[in-house]
Amino acid sequence: MYTSLTNRRKFIKKMAILSAMTAAATMFPGILFADEQEKGIPNSANLDWKKAPCRFCGVGCGVLVGTENGKAVAVKGDPKSPVNKGLCCVKGYHSIMALYGKDRLTKPLVKRKGQYVETSMEEALDLVAFKMKETIKSHGKDAVSIYGSGQWTIPDGYAASKLFKGCIGTNNVEANARLCMASAVTGFMTSFGIDEPMGCYEDIDHADVFFLWGNNMAEMHPVLFSRLLDQRLKRDVKIIDFATRTTRTSKASDKSILFKPQTDLAVANAICYEIINNGWVNTSFVEKHCNFNKGLTNMGYGLEDNYKFKDKPEKIDFTAFKKFLEDYTPEKVEKVSGVSAKDIKYMAAYYGDPNKKIMSLWCMGMNQHSRGTWINNLVYNIHLLTGKISSPGNSPFSLTGQPSACGTVREVGTLTHKLPHGVVMNEKHREFAAKIWDVPVENIPSKPTYHTVEMFRALDRGDIRFMWIQVTNPMVTMPKLKRYRDGAKKEGRFIVVSDIYPTPTTDIADVILPSAMWIEREGLFGNSERRTQHFDQMVDPPGEAMSDTWQLVEVAKRMGYEKQFYYKEETHIEEIYNEYRKHHDNKKHNMAPLEVLKSQPGAMWPFVDGKSTKWRFNAKYDPACSNGKDFHFYGKPDGKAIIWQRPYEPAAEEPDSEYPYWLNTGRVVEHWHTGSMTRRIPVLHKAMPHAYVELHPHDAKRLQIRTGDNVKLTTRRGEIVLPASINQRGVPAPMQVFVPFFDENLLINDITLDSFCPISKEPDYKKCAVKVEKA
Amino acid sequence: MPIKSYLAHPHSGKKNELIEALSSIEQCEIMPAQNKEVLILITETEDKTEEAMLKEKLETIESLKLLAMVSGFNTPQNN
Amino acid sequence: MRKRLGIISLFILLFLAFIIIWNYSYQTGLKEAYIPIENGDDSEVFLSENGVFENSQLALDYANMPVDENHQRTLKTYYDNRAYYGAPPSIPHPVKEEMSMGGNTCLQCHQSGGFVPKYNAYTPITPHPEMINCRQCHMVQNTETYFKQTAFAKKQAPIVGINNALPGSPPMIPHQIQMRENCLSCHAGPAAPKEIRVTHPERINCMQCHVPDNTQLGIDAIIFTRDNNSYDE
Repeated sequence: MYTSLTNRRKFIKKMAILSAMTAAATMFPGILFADEQEKGIPNSANLDWKKAPCRFCGVGCGVLVGTENGKAVAVKGDPKSPVNKGLCCVKGYHSIMALYGKDRLTKPLVKRKGQYVETSMEEALDLVAFKMKETIKSHGKDAVSIYGSGQWTIPDGYAASKLFKGCIGTNNVEANARLCMASAVTGFMTSFGIDEPMGCYEDIDHADVFFLWGNNMAEMHPVLFSRLLDQRLKRDVKIIDFATRTTRTSKASDKSILFKPQTDLAVANAICYEIINNGWVNTSFVEKHCNFNKGLTNMGYGLEDNYKFKDKPEKIDFTAFKKFLEDYTPEKVEKVSGVSAKDIKYMAAYYGDPNKKIMSLWCMGMNQHSRGTWINNLVYNIHLLTGKISSPGNSPFSLTGQPSACGTVREVGTLTHKLPHGVVMNEKHREFAAKIWDVPVENIPSKPTYHTVEMFRALDRGDIRFMWIQVTNPMVTMPKLKRYRDGAKKEGRFIVVSDIYPTPTTDIADVILPSAMWIEREGLFGNSERRTQHFDQMVDPPGEAMSDTWQLVEVAKRMGYEKQFYYKEETHIEEIYNEYRKHHDNKKHNMAPLEVLKSQPGAMWPFVDGKSTKWRFNAKYDPACSNGKDFHFYGKPDGKAIIWQRPYEPAAEEPDSEYPYWLNTGRVVEHWHTGSMTRRIPVLHKAMPHAYVELHPHDAKRLQIRTGDNVKLTTRRGEIVLPASINQRGVPAPMQVFVPFFDENLLINDITLDSFCPISKEPDYKKCAVKVEKA
Repeated sequence: MPIKSYLAHPHSGKKNELIEALSSIEQCEIMPAQNKEVLILITETEDKTEEAMLKEKLETIESLKLLAMVSGFNTPQNN
Repeated sequence: MRKRLGIISLFILLFLAFIIIWNYSYQTGLKEAYIPIENGDDSEVFLSENGVFENSQLALDYANMPVDENHQRTLKTYYDNRAYYGAPPSIPHPVKEEMSMGGNTCLQCHQSGGFVPKYNAYTPITPHPEMINCRQCHMVQNTETYFKQTAFAKKQAPIVGINNALPGSPPMIPHQIQMRENCLSCHAGPAAPKEIRVTHPERINCMQCHVPDNTQLGIDAIIFTRDNNSYDE
């Protein structure tokens, strides 16, 4: 807020407050003076303000939604939320407009003779239950499946898992988080044995240097990036952008370093080499808290149907690890990666400096990677070797892209191998879940079935006959999309889609169920920093729209599982959440009670003795540490984290003479996921009306392409024509192109490759070979 | 007219009492931190004698552990 | 004799030095050569939003700067100095050096700004100091009279305060970004027109909340429409 010079006293008072606030901020990092911030927000007298987590990305900003006469009319950042401290991004500020698109689905639609016919909710749910029973009868339990998402609320995912795994008895439960977070999960599991970040957003207030690994944070996690910029103004921290493309983030950073796609593996190893070679290893930390492992190499890329891979971890020692790294001297890696030895040493020097606290941040660049698990492991290696982990400001931090990828998919466990607590392969875990679910333990199969890509392949092959898709849009997001779209349209497949707007996915549906979204129902989300947040229903859903949770409960009842789905309509969210909490009733994962979540902007698990845990594995902050040492990596039986020997291996499909360019895909700040919500928000659509292809200016000049010209991209999967964008939002390196994936009218995923990380099964959307021509 | 700003640290668990005590004093304006045990205190007095009296008054508050001055200004009477 | 010994030992020393140096260079010659990679292209990558973060280091100063209400610029004078909305402003004061194309002469004041008692005003800051041929676009007004009257109609500039979609939501950017990427140069500091002065210059990443309104630029994008059959062969 500005002060005016005309009132000198007021001005002096303001200066006095400012200096006191600055002093307080240096003494207590992360301190908040909410009252002062709230003064600046316009307050409409007759609006009713209620708190919710934002509907969009995984940052999980606290927002206050203003309603008037049963309609949501305004949004402001919640100054009390420790996540965003009152700030939102353009999507958050306009999020409520996503409720009011003109073509909102309000009635169930059933396909009869190629035409969609309106019907009642009762009838549609009857049909879904009937079809499911019929499919089970004629094709077996493993012929029915559910495909959800990281936008499922916690109760949605819990009801789905209980119905399919516990009651029906199939592990055909997957979610789109497989396409975005699976490598982060396997990274955590292999390095630490327990999922999700050890640190939290407060690390930003303590760290001295920020490394962004292939993460265009200024556009994708803008509110967190603002916190970085804020710290730079106040404390002069350093931001280093390590990426394959020049973006807004590169421009805002102190240093931008570009590497060739896939070679982040080599660079991470080179940083480890430098750390060891210069004696920067925190020897006592490594001796006390780390083991060294190596796994299988040359794993392949999962391009063929029924591809299977299981890693075989093998213990090695520090000498062997050191020997392995000799292939990764900065001078050697420079040739592979295109990153100069000087820049590698520059990065290593920051990581190695014992007086610098380091935060590494990443998201899809490292997760959607054909060696996604490895690169996650490698970044943890750097933090483990230097002991810069699990303490304020020292934090390898895996960001998420969906509001509840952590809360629902990872914590409730809506993946084929997962249970809310533990995995289906473990008998004890099955028994534990069966008891809470009130089902016979034999119901839960001990073998995982299909991961996402394989699930859609099974649908194409006919192994799966019935699929229920909720809150996601696979007919825009699947790689090598055409195969899976054609597969889903085959005869003898029954597809149910629950959504709020018509999308390319509802186009392939046999039944379309209208859903109640976000604040049209009660629910809970869990964000990247283990924060669970509750929101109340604030407005009525349109027409017959119904929450995904209640749709599942209704179908479950119709299938004869009234005993397990005993919930009452008025209180079902509370009942489900309380039941779900029983699965995590231990010091390592305890969830906060609902009353707590209702009263404040979320709480971070493990929530023990009425307190959120900010830094896990650190005895000072985490009550689950029990080995009597400073750190306890209790996810692993011996309490030690693992430093993995992981080599550099090339991507599944690299440019060659026929397809000489790299194709990279991603997002833009205005649109979220497949744009089915954000494109219906006029402000966002006006700013970014359609997809485009970014070229490097030199390539564009050689091909005589100018901004707006049509460009034809061809891969081995097909071709697409897009308008060119040169020197605009971002600039890819020479011989690379970038296309955002939000545009359902320009489906870039028709030509991407469905290679995936063999360990996590997460596809690599960032790399395939493409030919570029002026159209 | 002296204007001064302080960081006021309450005894542990007595933040609310301190807020109450300080807000009852006319010359004091406070801004409590949302998430830490500290609050900002701004005092505005007419002259040095009043300032000294206020200081004495503040020292008698029981819930106050420590008062650290951050900045002080003095402005002429007329505006 | 001594002299001779001296000379001999000098030569021995030189010889030893030669052997050592030769040996060293031979050894290093055996090592694999390190050839630093050529980046080839050192030219600065240019984004259409290049300047957004440029003045960000001044953001805190802007935020803490008191406003001098007696010398504020208004949006009216701001637009009065332009032939139409979006046109380059003219130079409303005599120029120092008629020979100069601009460059340092103009930038002396217009790069960083400051109060000028002579004009009783704060100097506006240019959003594009890298373009130094100022007077290619910015003209001095040497006369108030016309050669012949003009029938040119001045387009109405966007009005402040009606540009947000929801109560309290961040307004959109109603103008094009090219050459105006440096938001703070016009929207913060003492020379900013009071109507468009931002209350929170310390936020820096302006375009995370304020996005351009392309329809104002004549790009047709009013409503998102589904193009159902684009993927059906």
